[in-house]
Amino acid sequence: MALLTRLGQHDEKAMEDIFRRYSGPVYSVALRVLHDTGQAEDVLQEVFLQLWRNPDAFVQNRGSLGAWLVVVARNRSIDLLRRRKPSDSVEDVVLASPVNVASEAERNIMMEKVRRVIADLPAEQRKNLELAYFEGLSHSEIALRTGDPLGTVKTRIRQALIALRKAFEA
Amino acid sequence: MNESGSNPVPVSPEDLALYAMQALPAEEMAAVAAALRDNPQAQQELARIQGDLALLALSADQQSAPAGSFERLQARMRADGPAAAKEFATSAAASSPMEMIEATEAPRCEIAPLPRRSKWATITPWAIAACLAIACSILGYRVASLNDALDGESALVSNLAAKASHAQQVLEVLNSPDAQRVTLSATKIPPAPTAHTVYLADRGALVMEANNLKPVPTGKTYELWVIPASGAAPVPAGTFTPNSEGYASVVLPKLPSGVPAKAFGITIENAGGSNTPTAPIILSGE
Repeated sequence: MALLTRLGQHDEKAMEDIFRRYSGPVYSVALRVLHDTGQAEDVLQEVFLQLWRNPDAFVQNRGSLGAWLVVVARNRSIDLLRRRKPSDSVEDVVLASPVNVASEAERNIMMEKVRRVIADLPAEQRKNLELAYFEGLSHSEIALRTGDPLGTVKTRIRQALIALRKAFEA
Repeated sequence: MNESGSNPVPVSPEDLALYAMQALPAEEMAAVAAALRDNPQAQQELARIQGDLALLALSADQQSAPAGSFERLQARMRADGPAAAKEFATSAAASSPMEMIEATEAPRCEIAPLPRRSKWATITPWAIAACLAIACSILGYRVASLNDALDGESALVSNLAAKASHAQQVLEVLNSPDAQRVTLSATKIPPAPTAHTVYLADRGALVMEANNLKPVPTGKTYELWVIPASGAAPVPAGTFTPNSEGYASVVLPKLPSGVPAKAFGITIENAGGSNTPTAPIILSGE
């Protein structure tokens, strides 16, 4: 029986399997954003607890579970960083992604590739992207910090994401 | 055109990317959310951007989840129970940003407000009580876990401190100029008593020399015996007492000739000797 089906039946073993498989990437992204192991574990617990409580929030045609979990974890981490209430519901995170991070080996290969693409980005693009994604700054806050026009910030972030997408479509 | 027959409000890909990252101010987030509602094409692009962001999330340095994190999750899962799961599903759906945005707009006529308020008025106190109970049990569990961890760490620190103190004492003893240094070796062991016999059976001639014998008590003497190969009774071959250095000898005692020997033995007998040996045999040889 598929893990998610079993999860829908509140099968703890299914939850354990999912946790063992995806807890590393989820915790890592939370730690990257929060720089605090205690808060990162809080996010880890919260994300998986939400999945346990409401497995229907993830629908398989929305993408891979692992990809979905890391996006939800990142968003929850940013919420925590900004000390604000959750800005979206897990149901609102919809992915169209061929990314399969279930296999650790595949995941490692993918991570290396992502890091390479990001390292190859023009410095300003990379900086803007990381400020927005991992530090949770709004585009106006980035513009204020870097002194660049708002339009430039938007364009750089968009271009960086296009470069990332192209690398995986190739 | 969208479902309502009007053209969808365009959303720029740049704004979609920022929307996906929640990097727009609240009012712009609301505007993009509204524009997305009737724009399947933009929804599709948003989903692709979320996929790109999932890749970006993987660029974080990978760490393993903290030890015991699943067990802590499991405790919360069990504390939840199925009822909480159902309740969460309801409340989570009600708090999605789309609905939060809608809540700021004019109320829609198809919503019947009174029953909805009544339902929440009933559920809310219970939900709060359930949340408090869950929070208490989670906090209790975390406190217990932290106490366990602290106990473990304290024991480890004590153990390390004891080892360090011991090592310090060892160093002090070794390095002290006042320390008395003596090399010890094995104490002198008294040499074992031995005896050598030379015997010519044909002639009944025997010579024996013994060394390192202990002195015999007063009224006692050593006695040498020839044990015949035939199995006959031992033949007495003379009494003797060692000198102060443990040396003794028996030279040509009176013995029958033609008695081949299987072995020789020495016993302690009463002074004057005996015709039969008395156990124990002090020395023997074949």
